[in-house]
Amino acid sequence: MIDASRRTQRNGLRVAAVPIAGLRSVSVLLAMEAGQFFEPSGRPGVARLTAQGMLRGTARRDARAWADALDGLGASARLDVGAHAAVFSGQCLADDLAAFIDLIAETVVTPALAPEALEFVRSHALADFEEAKKDTRSVADKAWRELTYPAGHPFRTRSIGDEEVVRTATIDEIRAHHRNGIHPAGSVLVLAGALDADRAFEVAERAFGGWSGVDRLNRLIGPVVLDGARRRAVVVPDKTQADIVLGWPGLPRTDPRFTAAQVTNMVFAADTFASRAGQVVRDELGLAYYVFSTISGTAAQGPWMVRMGVNPENVERAIAVTFTELKKIRDGAIADDDLALARDKLVGELEVGRESPTGVAGMVLEAELFHLGDDHLYRYPRELRAVTKDAVVRIARELLPIDRYALAIAGPDIPPAR
Amino acid sequence: MIHALEARHAPVVSLWVWYHVGGRNEVPGTTGMSHFLEHMLFKGTPAHPKGDLDRLLARYGAQWNAFTNEDVTCYFETVPRDRYDVALGLEADRMRNALISSEEVEAERTVIVSEREGYENDPSFLLGESLQAVAFDRHPYGQGVIGSKFEIKLMTRDGLYAHYRKHYAPNNAYVVVVGDDRAEALVDKAAAAFAAVRPEELIAPPLAPEPPQMGEKRLVVRRAGGALPIVQIGFHTAAASDPRAAALQALAVALAGGGGGDAASGRSSRLYRGLVEKELATEVDASFGLTKDPFLFTLEATVRPGVTHRAVEEALLAELQRLADEPIDEVEFARVRRGLLASVAFPSDTITWRAFRLGSLLSSGAAPSIGAWYDALARVTPDDVRGAARDTFVERARTVGHFIPEAS
Repeated sequence: MIDASRRTQRNGLRVAAVPIAGLRSVSVLLAMEAGQFFEPSGRPGVARLTAQGMLRGTARRDARAWADALDGLGASARLDVGAHAAVFSGQCLADDLAAFIDLIAETVVTPALAPEALEFVRSHALADFEEAKKDTRSVADKAWRELTYPAGHPFRTRSIGDEEVVRTATIDEIRAHHRNGIHPAGSVLVLAGALDADRAFEVAERAFGGWSGVDRLNRLIGPVVLDGARRRAVVVPDKTQADIVLGWPGLPRTDPRFTAAQVTNMVFAADTFASRAGQVVRDELGLAYYVFSTISGTAAQGPWMVRMGVNPENVERAIAVTFTELKKIRDGAIADDDLALARDKLVGELEVGRESPTGVAGMVLEAELFHLGDDHLYRYPRELRAVTKDAVVRIARELLPIDRYALAIAGPDIPPAR
Repeated sequence: MIHALEARHAPVVSLWVWYHVGGRNEVPGTTGMSHFLEHMLFKGTPAHPKGDLDRLLARYGAQWNAFTNEDVTCYFETVPRDRYDVALGLEADRMRNALISSEEVEAERTVIVSEREGYENDPSFLLGESLQAVAFDRHPYGQGVIGSKFEIKLMTRDGLYAHYRKHYAPNNAYVVVVGDDRAEALVDKAAAAFAAVRPEELIAPPLAPEPPQMGEKRLVVRRAGGALPIVQIGFHTAAASDPRAAALQALAVALAGGGGGDAASGRSSRLYRGLVEKELATEVDASFGLTKDPFLFTLEATVRPGVTHRAVEEALLAELQRLADEPIDEVEFARVRRGLLASVAFPSDTITWRAFRLGSLLSSGAAPSIGAWYDALARVTPDDVRGAARDTFVERARTVGHFIPEAS
């Protein structure tokens, strides 16, 4: 089993360390509650601009010297904004752990956030918007969110945000978001790999012990309920494949039904080969190369999305058979073996995921971030195995209604719905 | 041949079977055949009917998949340690007993067309495929891997089956396994599993060597389906077994680091500083692939709005020339070396990727072990990098491609 040691610093930063014998490197994840959920209302895109800006130099060194320091360690690193958290992720050689953690702390706690840094990352973000307009997956994702979430909801846009907000964001706004959103309370640092836990805690204390910040804000988000079937098709010229997003507002990661929802997701469409929709759409009918679904783990109702890439001629059929499989689940027509397969796969993935320090760190991070309990990784396989057919049917009926959904299609000349 | 490494940090075994068949073994009219065949090996054998394999492996939480490239077709399963025997049984069975029925060929044909259509939505793929075709006059590397949509639609069951029987045999394959057991035990189990599979008489296909390129080639791809212009440049370069291969890997790291996209790492690289920081490009990349025969050293830059292809191409070429003309100083080389060695160390800490790394070194002839490759990278000097740049970045050996987005 994964054996994590935990400490909480006086500033509220929680640190978990997982020594793994036989490795040469350490995977590092620092999650800060500064994702889309915590973004200033009506200003989508500010969180990502802030995160990108933080990688453009610190109070101590400019962008060039910062890049030299990071590459001098040979470390990999990135800072991504997700639905819930902004996550600094990286990997370094064991001997470089202290230097790498120091550099991460410097980046997170004392970024320069200079005006020219904002202009640099803004220009890149605007180029990303241009690319996204011609990318069928991005177009379908954007359309689906607009169909599903009301104005002002944190998940109405992708993490890249709203183009007009990105165009007009000021450096004061970025600095304010850093001040209000990037703080130790609610943040979690996970280290996994070639390390000694006590030494890792010392390194983390030295690097982050002086980090302070305002108490985190609790954001209240109202429930999202779709009132009917919403559908939008967007033509993206000169493409050969259409991308489809079919989905519903999901459930918070802390919802007691989340484990049952994950099993439901696996039975339905999570995997191209092990789930009902994947088997029928790809394996039996040959309609698509990829079919999969995901549930977002966040504090609110993140997206529960089924995604497919299909030839435009096959769009309607692929959607129809996906609904047919969903209806079977809602009607309780679930083969015992399909349910057992879903449970077994989710449990087995926990074991196989231990092959990688990043996989281990990810499992620990999820448990810490959502306060699932120190014994979560011990309990979780049992909880997955305890999910019954009735629970799966109930989840599908409650959360995946076949008359209330959002459906977005992006591609070339999609034939009209029949 | 069976190669095994012990990895004790997780109760997992990763089994990889590599076949010496890929895009290089195809002729015009049947391009994409090796990749099509790869799909058909998931469609069942008499002992494991279609779907059995998927469900069995899914039940264990396994990671499993396959890929085809210019040189090889490869199948892998990463499974809990106590399911290693199951993975071996599946691979030994499908090495010779795949059904490849006409019905399944028809069903899978549309899936493969869909896969190709997904790639076609990406301007970088479209330009890269065309550039590869233009760069090679004679060698089958010019055909790529997935094949043309028209040839995928014409592929016959009998053609696929003949390709299968010809290339899928123990004497045209090797096994790499990494996992939670003694290496000898991992080898013994694999040897026992494949012992009953009979070898095939192999006939090496005549392979046209690529004659030297005698001048720059250029191409343009125009589509409405892309937003930003792209510049790609491919230089004919050395095979993985060439003594300069390690220096060419170092050259790629010096040019673009190991990051890319939104990664924070790699921003001290030459191309990031010369093109991205100077606001000519939004993204840059440089790569030297490990291939059996000499392939391409490729460079790519996504052009920023308002900047011309010409300006980006000139800046790219200037950076390449600078590396060929001036030695890298010690401080910069220390960063390059660190990134180079980390690029071996980091993936090796994941069992699946350690097995992949070893297999790719063996399949391409780059090195007999991960350790030998690491040592080769560690021996690279600044002069080696400069020499690799001088040898590679030659005007007559380059192909330049522009992707031009058109108004929709």
